[in-house]
Amino acid sequence: MRPSRPVRIALHLANLATIAFFLLPIATAAIGSFESEKTLRADTRAVLPSEWTLDNFRVLISGGAPSSSSIYDQATYLPDNVKKIRYALANSTIIAVSVTVLTLVFGSLSAFTVARLRQRWLEWLMSINVFARFVPIVVLMIPLYVTFRRLDLLNSVWGVIIAETGFLLPYGVLILSPYFAALPQELDEAARIDGCSRFTAFLRITLPLSTPVLASYGAIVFIVAWNDLLTPLILNNRAEFMTLPVVVASLVGDMNVFFSLMMAICLVAMAPSVILVLLLQKFVVRGLVAGAVKG
Amino acid sequence: MNLPTLITLALVLAYPIFYAAYLSFHRVALADLRRGVFPFVGFGNYRRIFADPVFLLSLKNTMLFATVSVTAEILLALAIALLISERSVWTGRITRVLILLPYAVPPIANGQIWAFLYNFNFGFLNRLLFALGVIDAPVDWVGDPRTALFVLTIPYIWRTLPFAILLIHAALEGMAPELFEAAALDGASAWQRFRYVTLPLLRPVIVVVLVLRTSFAFTVFEEVLAITQGGPGDATWVAAWYSYRRSFAPPFDIGVGSASAYVLALITGLLALGYVKLLYRRVE
Repeated sequence: MRPSRPVRIALHLANLATIAFFLLPIATAAIGSFESEKTLRADTRAVLPSEWTLDNFRVLISGGAPSSSSIYDQATYLPDNVKKIRYALANSTIIAVSVTVLTLVFGSLSAFTVARLRQRWLEWLMSINVFARFVPIVVLMIPLYVTFRRLDLLNSVWGVIIAETGFLLPYGVLILSPYFAALPQELDEAARIDGCSRFTAFLRITLPLSTPVLASYGAIVFIVAWNDLLTPLILNNRAEFMTLPVVVASLVGDMNVFFSLMMAICLVAMAPSVILVLLLQKFVVRGLVAGAVKG
Repeated sequence: MNLPTLITLALVLAYPIFYAAYLSFHRVALADLRRGVFPFVGFGNYRRIFADPVFLLSLKNTMLFATVSVTAEILLALAIALLISERSVWTGRITRVLILLPYAVPPIANGQIWAFLYNFNFGFLNRLLFALGVIDAPVDWVGDPRTALFVLTIPYIWRTLPFAILLIHAALEGMAPELFEAAALDGASAWQRFRYVTLPLLRPVIVVVLVLRTSFAFTVFEEVLAITQGGPGDATWVAAWYSYRRSFAPPFDIGVGSASAYVLALITGLLALGYVKLLYRRVE
């Protein structure tokens, strides 16, 4: 049933409009980041700049003051958070990677017990996990701030890692355990007869067979942990312990960071998760669909 | 084997939920936080937030924001999902690759980019509209308190659309083509096929998207922080913003912040109940 020609053209146009909508913010950030503050201020009607520059990225890499560069107009001072953006990049990486590893380990262990041991309390654990996804993070972060303040976990990567691991575990148990349950149990049993313990059977049989779902979950956890603002924003307020999203948030309303430099920071902040999504697209899609449908 | 998960969940989920309830019944201002002693105030914090017009406005704004953004999201997602499953539109392949992009962008970066887009003097949106000849004076996109909240839904819709499209698209792909062929043989028009075959089959997934997205839209935060900071005036104060500001900006009142966050949690908790009921019904 091929639609008629005018209908096809209309559909193409609608699709092009969709593409334009999806690309609009990305293009905005890309164009803005290669522009200087001067050109941006000089002509307020031009879409494309008269002159392209890499200086915004140079400032970020060197952590240098804008006065040393010719691209700045009214900004005279580079905020500390921007000078120390290398720390933020390192913190974001350490936190996102640790959270991904921890949730994969803890989540797959739990999901395995839920899938293999038929126990009543494990069903309860599953329903708690469904509920946990609905708890607004801000509700958890206020008491965690008070507790972590007492435990001296503010301004450290550890506090953020612990909190984000906890927030993201329920999702893992939800998508991993149906997958484990669908694997043929005979494989486990054969391995046990050959002398494997339940745990080695899990390590040698279940996990290798589950790489697709582990990739889905791992990619989603990395992206959510990398992008998370509220947790590190509330727990870490010193420049040395900020993550990239916190740096972006801390510059809201800062007159010394103009849109051009801001767009460069945003591009840096989004690059790892965007690249990951493009590389692991298939897995991310499966994970998102599984998490919502099989929940 | 469950121990690590149980310990983490107890520390980061179960304990804070109860502790937040505890804090919401106590006075936890900056001085109390330093001393480490929180005097009991009963329902005092709750009485204060329900007497605070800004809190009531935040709740109203949150509901309005969630209603508008989720409705728009579902309609757009439905249209785009149908569009990209139409084989004759080959450009749909490009869209399919791009769909996931917003999901990867950090919400706060998304907020900053739209703050640049919407900016009155230097904004990119005004530049584009000048170039296209649509406007001849700059538009102050978020300057009008009557429309700011609605303007704020667009960046949020942009960021959360992928999820809705993916779910609806997956459901469409799972439908047997024979159904449509049979309907076509029976003389059903394209609209009738959509109305009487596709839509009823999509109903379950649309309800799932509706409940999940509504509960998440209730916690919108980053776009508000980056684009309007609650302004102009109080026009774009939302529930999560209220809890955050009361707790971590003057007056640094964590008791009031917890009470307001708890009200938000109760609302999303009700949505969660509905969601669980729904899933159980579908399993049967």
